[in-house]
Amino acid sequence: MASRRALRTLNHLATRRAHSTSSVSANELSHFSALASSWWDPQGPSRVLHLMNPLRHDFIASCLSDAVPPPPPSASSSAPSPATNPNTLRYLDIGCGGGIFAESLARSISTSPASQTATPTRAASITAIDPSTTLIQIARDHARLDPTVDAHLRSGRFEYKNCTLEDLLASQQTLPSTSTPASAPTSEKYDIVTLFEVIEHIESTPSAGISPQSFLTDCLRLVRPGGWLIGSTIARTFPSWLVNQVIAEAPWPIGVVPRGTHEWQKFVNPGELEGWVQEGLMRSADGRAVRAGAAALEGMRWKCVGVVYFPGFGWKLVPGSESWGNYFWAVRKGA
Amino acid sequence: MRALVRTATRPYVCPSCQLGRLSARRRFASASTPSSASPEIYDVVCVGGGPAGLGLLAALRATPATSKLKVALVETQDLQKARSWSLDAQHYSNRVSSLTPSSVSFLQKIGVWDNVDTARVQPYQEMQVWDGETGSRITFDWSMETSPFEDLRTVATMTENSNLVRALLSRIAESGDENLSIFSNTTVSSIANGSDIPDGPDLSAWPVLSLAPTTTSSSAQPPKQIAARLLVGADGINSPVRRFADISTSGWDYDRHGVVATLSLSDLDPVHSTPNIKTAFQRFLPALGGPIALLPLPNNTASLVWSTTVANAAYLKSLPPRAFTATVNAAFRLSMIDLTYMLRMERPSATSPTSTDSSSSSSSAAVDPHEDELTWRLQHTPQPRKPSQLPPLVTGVQEGSVASFPLRFRHASTYISPRVALIGDAAHVIHPLAGQGLNLGLGDVAALAQTVEYAATHGMDVGDLLTLERYAGERFATNAKIGGACDVLHKLYNVPGNGPVAWARSFGLDVIDAVPFVKGLLMRGAQ
Repeated sequence: MASRRALRTLNHLATRRAHSTSSVSANELSHFSALASSWWDPQGPSRVLHLMNPLRHDFIASCLSDAVPPPPPSASSSAPSPATNPNTLRYLDIGCGGGIFAESLARSISTSPASQTATPTRAASITAIDPSTTLIQIARDHARLDPTVDAHLRSGRFEYKNCTLEDLLASQQTLPSTSTPASAPTSEKYDIVTLFEVIEHIESTPSAGISPQSFLTDCLRLVRPGGWLIGSTIARTFPSWLVNQVIAEAPWPIGVVPRGTHEWQKFVNPGELEGWVQEGLMRSADGRAVRAGAAALEGMRWKCVGVVYFPGFGWKLVPGSESWGNYFWAVRKGA
Repeated sequence: MRALVRTATRPYVCPSCQLGRLSARRRFASASTPSSASPEIYDVVCVGGGPAGLGLLAALRATPATSKLKVALVETQDLQKARSWSLDAQHYSNRVSSLTPSSVSFLQKIGVWDNVDTARVQPYQEMQVWDGETGSRITFDWSMETSPFEDLRTVATMTENSNLVRALLSRIAESGDENLSIFSNTTVSSIANGSDIPDGPDLSAWPVLSLAPTTTSSSAQPPKQIAARLLVGADGINSPVRRFADISTSGWDYDRHGVVATLSLSDLDPVHSTPNIKTAFQRFLPALGGPIALLPLPNNTASLVWSTTVANAAYLKSLPPRAFTATVNAAFRLSMIDLTYMLRMERPSATSPTSTDSSSSSSSAAVDPHEDELTWRLQHTPQPRKPSQLPPLVTGVQEGSVASFPLRFRHASTYISPRVALIGDAAHVIHPLAGQGLNLGLGDVAALAQTVEYAATHGMDVGDLLTLERYAGERFATNAKIGGACDVLHKLYNVPGNGPVAWARSFGLDVIDAVPFVKGLLMRGAQ
């Protein structure tokens, strides 16, 4: 239901970079560009997306309560040691859009590095990427309105990058000379990679070798062993078609999201996603997209829980509803 | 009634119209304009150090997730006086509140109740309410739902506001002074939106307060500037914070005053009174403009709240102590006609009202005309069969405790604005006939503290409208409902005589009293 951010990400990806590995149609791009100015308007078209944001934090907290990514083996770094500071996790938000999630996560970064108490997100830093220059500018402008977030931006604990996922991967592979081409060095990977309302907007173009599956494989390459890839999307079912296409995009006052936000055909069922993720784990274990075998799935963990929007009450986690509507999903890479 | 409907339908203003309203004025200034120096930034700034404002601070400090927030409180009065407040066991302040069990359990949860001097509070388990015109009566207690083996549940707990405020202050002091600033003896000279700081955050949508000390001795220093992520208006009926946010209020004055006093009672009749059960009494006096209530305090004392016309209130305040107690006793016992007569009697002319307190002992030998009138008229007034349905006789009034305050109804059109939230009297002022004013304020505090806690644990900005709408959504309808109910009761019980209204209201009261299910529902609702 709330996926403009991702859409826009991929739209721009397609238009800005002809050689890009992503593809989204140009009319979707114009649809979302028209919404840019109202991105942070609490009563605006992104309201439903804003309302969902706290639940993302709840879901992340539930993932962390299952398993906290282990501290990096290199204790030589100047970062505060996890023995004293439990808030060491590095986050990457892919397709951050106007920064609804990224900014809220940055706000959860403790301002006092000496803090001994664990924050709900245990965040030490966050990098948020989006290929849209307009949206990154909106995100940066909005971040200045909060002194806490502004301070994190200035200190580098919070970073907005105007680039694509492929740009990020490429820069990581070229930067350190010692690294093997197969994978980025561990220190450049992230403990938590988030992908909220993105995957259902990936257009499958087999001719260019692009599919949601290849996109997920790239995301998983950036996750450290023991880390989580966390996202949300919508199942492709009759109820979700009725809710997201017919009701949610109906004219005011019934509709809550702008018309043309979703394409039901691109929605992803949890089973499909789990399959893609498993294949992605195997592929990401080997940089040349050759199957790495079941060994790559060892220690993997899969989580999935549905969320339902009740008008007037907001979003609620409803276990079981993942098979017919919006849901959060998470995969933990084996340590 | 039309204004009430308007208030009740406010939440349904369409979103785009609300937006237009929100971005309206945002400025309040009584003196200087803020300087361009960058202000000190706080997460929560609370204007007003009454029970609501201090309660919010105590709740935030007591909750682990919010205890690290940088908070400030600004209060015009000297809080040091409130900290060191003390009275002996025989004397009680006339500003007393009836705390519902849910208010008390909230205060227990945030660790405030441990600091309340419980020897000075009085829970009561029963409430007798009757109509002075028709005699219809309702008894509120939990006997219907209490087994014979347990004590009767508490209806409410009488607590002096000073006792509560002192407890709140010591609870806040217990939490240490890290990230906490209390600006006592300080006024807010202006509130304005901040500015976009070059090479720094953009505070142009943040409220920035200019603080000035009330004492002129230290006026040499420039006004202190503080910016608030969330500015909480706990600053009463004329809230400057509400004016800054340009939030309108609707309401009316009841043209009534509440007369308060601390009274001493005669010893309880051991035959008719049940031990360990304290009762609150309230009699509606339609001919006199409102109800009279006698609320129990420890040591055989009680607090009086008598809502009546402005003229009657002035008359009552001018009476010497003996005449005053006689009139209070009459108000619980005599018919409307007799009472109306007594409130028009010529005041005792021998002593002027101001000197009566001191000279009352010397004139005690003489017969007070009000006492005389009461004794004579009681002989001709039928009394209820069960003596426990009447309060014990009032024997005296605590010196200097008779006071009065105007009764008003106010309801803010909204409780929130970007980076602004209103709590307590700044958001709503209601008729005191159900003793719900402070309870609603504490309900606001609990809801706002919970909202801030949720925001703090979910990466939300505590001043953001999306955060605050949780608070407003929880409280607006509840407060409008209770305020409206009190207003309707007030109007219903201001119709004198034995007409259809009096018949209908008495019939309603009798039905409620007779049907346990309805009464239980009402009592749970009142909690």
